[in-house]
Amino acid sequence: MKKLVPMIVFGTMLFGISLSSQAALKIVATTQDLAAIAKEVGGEHVQVQSLTSGTRDPHFAAAKPSMIRKVFRADLLLLIGADMEIGWLPPLLQSARNVKVLPGNNGHLDVSTGIPLLGKLNVPVSRSMGDVHANGNPHYWLDPRNGVRIAQVIVNRLIMIDPDNKVDYQQQLNDFKTRLEARRAVWQSELRWLKDKPVIAYHRSFIYLANAFGFKIVGEVEPKPGISPSVASLTRLIEQINNNAIELLIIEPFYERRSASYLNEKTGIKVAVLPQSVGAQDDIKTYFDLFDSIVMALNQFKDK
Amino acid sequence: MDLSYFPTRHLVGVIGLLLLVPVKAFAGQETDELRQQLKEIRQQMQKLQQNYEKQISTLEQRLNGLESQPVRQAALPAVTTTTVTRNDFKIGLTGLFSAGGSSVDNDALGGLQAGAHDPNQNGFTVQNVELSIGGTVGPYFDAQANIIFQIDSEGETVLELEEAFFTTRSLPWGLQIKGGQFYTEFGRHNKQHPHAWGFVDQPVVLSRFFGGDGLRSQGARVSWLAPTDWYSEVYFGIQNPKGETVTSFLNAPDEEIAGFTLIDRDARDTSDLLYSARWLNGFDLSDTLSMNVGLSGLWGPNASGVTTDTTIYGADLYLKWQPIYSQRGFPFVSWHTEALHRRYEAGDRGNPNRTLLKDWGVFTQALWGFKPGWIAGLRAEYANANGDNGSDVLRDNRKRLSPNLTWQFSEYSKLRLQYNRDWAEHLPEETANSLFLQFEFNLGSHAAHQF
Repeated sequence: MKKLVPMIVFGTMLFGISLSSQAALKIVATTQDLAAIAKEVGGEHVQVQSLTSGTRDPHFAAAKPSMIRKVFRADLLLLIGADMEIGWLPPLLQSARNVKVLPGNNGHLDVSTGIPLLGKLNVPVSRSMGDVHANGNPHYWLDPRNGVRIAQVIVNRLIMIDPDNKVDYQQQLNDFKTRLEARRAVWQSELRWLKDKPVIAYHRSFIYLANAFGFKIVGEVEPKPGISPSVASLTRLIEQINNNAIELLIIEPFYERRSASYLNEKTGIKVAVLPQSVGAQDDIKTYFDLFDSIVMALNQFKDK
Repeated sequence: MDLSYFPTRHLVGVIGLLLLVPVKAFAGQETDELRQQLKEIRQQMQKLQQNYEKQISTLEQRLNGLESQPVRQAALPAVTTTTVTRNDFKIGLTGLFSAGGSSVDNDALGGLQAGAHDPNQNGFTVQNVELSIGGTVGPYFDAQANIIFQIDSEGETVLELEEAFFTTRSLPWGLQIKGGQFYTEFGRHNKQHPHAWGFVDQPVVLSRFFGGDGLRSQGARVSWLAPTDWYSEVYFGIQNPKGETVTSFLNAPDEEIAGFTLIDRDARDTSDLLYSARWLNGFDLSDTLSMNVGLSGLWGPNASGVTTDTTIYGADLYLKWQPIYSQRGFPFVSWHTEALHRRYEAGDRGNPNRTLLKDWGVFTQALWGFKPGWIAGLRAEYANANGDNGSDVLRDNRKRLSPNLTWQFSEYSKLRLQYNRDWAEHLPEETANSLFLQFEFNLGSHAAHQF
């Protein structure tokens, strides 16, 4: 009788593990953007969760206990890479003790390895430059052309982990590509008025968006990435805005608005709050919704 | 692995041996023609051998290439524009300095600020300079070492191996083993290094139970991530009970506790080791609120007698709120509370002075990150013990209230101003007022964000 209890416990654990291995492939993504694309191409064969919410800056997350559970159970971990998750993913991976998703194994996918990153520095990087990402700017999902690349990288890995469903993954990838290309043409034409316009951004996070739609980011509210603006830096910016007749400032929903309001007051610059991620607003549930919302937010400031 | 090239290799070996047979041996009996033929044959064989060796080395190269290349790369699109530098070796140096002044003199302040990394003198204190090195050892282990440099109140530089441990990476069933010299899993605060604290000093009750340096020792612990729907982890540890960082157990011979002089006692068998257990649970109460609840226990021998034991229990609660929209991790509110109780058998059975010491303490601290880089904090503490304890610095009735303000210039540096209001029974003036200004810098690898 004494041995019965441990045997039941052990048996239940084995049963639980066998059950979980038969269910859909469990994908955990560090951001909602990667999660949304993984859902598009994984379809019914995958179950996708995001570790962070699109309403927050993914760089400044912390390894919450609930994340440990999610990573512990994951078959595949998708990360933005390029140092985006450097502050919280390493301790999370250590706590989650899931060998499948450790670097070097098939369950660990640094999506940035499949993207041509912008903003790489070929000069020695110093922290006196602020939060500079030497390996390149990590906000690459904000170019819909990179959406296709992200999907491609994810599908390559899905096929490797789950070859039985290769045909489905490839078909879903092609379908996603077709839909995205079609929508991209619409977004391009909607934002044609913005082409070559100078724009101020709050943080160095919209360079891919600018690259995709042809506008120019000529300055940032932050004097250095991650460093809060000061009165002196704002004064310099006012001068720049006035001298170059810059009409638009773009900012993520989670940043403080005081600096932007101040600039608006002093120069009349229009402030467009752009959702930067899937999930940044309640109505942004897919990767397509994200660009629909961005285009809509920008079009409010189109000259009538 | 394909071994089909092995017979070829043998063949080449035999040919090579044949070539070693001196041609001279035949020369005497055979004609020049024969010699010529032999020479030709030898040349052909040499050519053959060279060819074979060339083929084998190409084959080997290709095989090696196939083995060393991660399989996944074959299927990835070639993105030549990306250079990914992967290096999981981390090295960092943290410096923590403070300047402060108090209404009491250095001796009394040292009693109030009993943590080894607390600012504890009027003037300047080098609280903690810590070198941290860590990384992945291989597929099965990670390892880390933290080395502390300190300058004590006599001006002497102290070097200390704070922690050096390995952790397993790939055990099944949610198990993980840690071994070496490390902080004991007890509560939330004990494991935190000074640069991760929300205040310039450590809580009073922790200094009393675990000494100035926190509870750490040599040993091993196993932890198990339970397959529950919420985060639930159980830790069991066994560590050496002896040393100056194992206060409440076999520490500091010749020092006194409640009139008992501590003896130099060794662990004689496995029942004399320090055992620890912790059960930690974590919940997301909503999108904006997360909670950790933990229970901890410690069991081990103490040095007031040859058979005496100590038991410590603790409960900890941590809540963190962060709104849906947050910039750089701000704003946030966190609330951290721990309560501890110690049962200390002083004196062996049969000793007429034998007594049971009961100590307890609680601290509760709230941090409010009200705008990016700015954090306001408030901590309230209480500690007390049974018996005649009024003049005992480490057992008297003690209260402390500490408001502070922290400014993080960037992710790698901060400035903190803290005021301590102390009420301590052992002080002749009963109260003390102290003010500390702390500065911290971080060099090297990106430190982990704290939940």
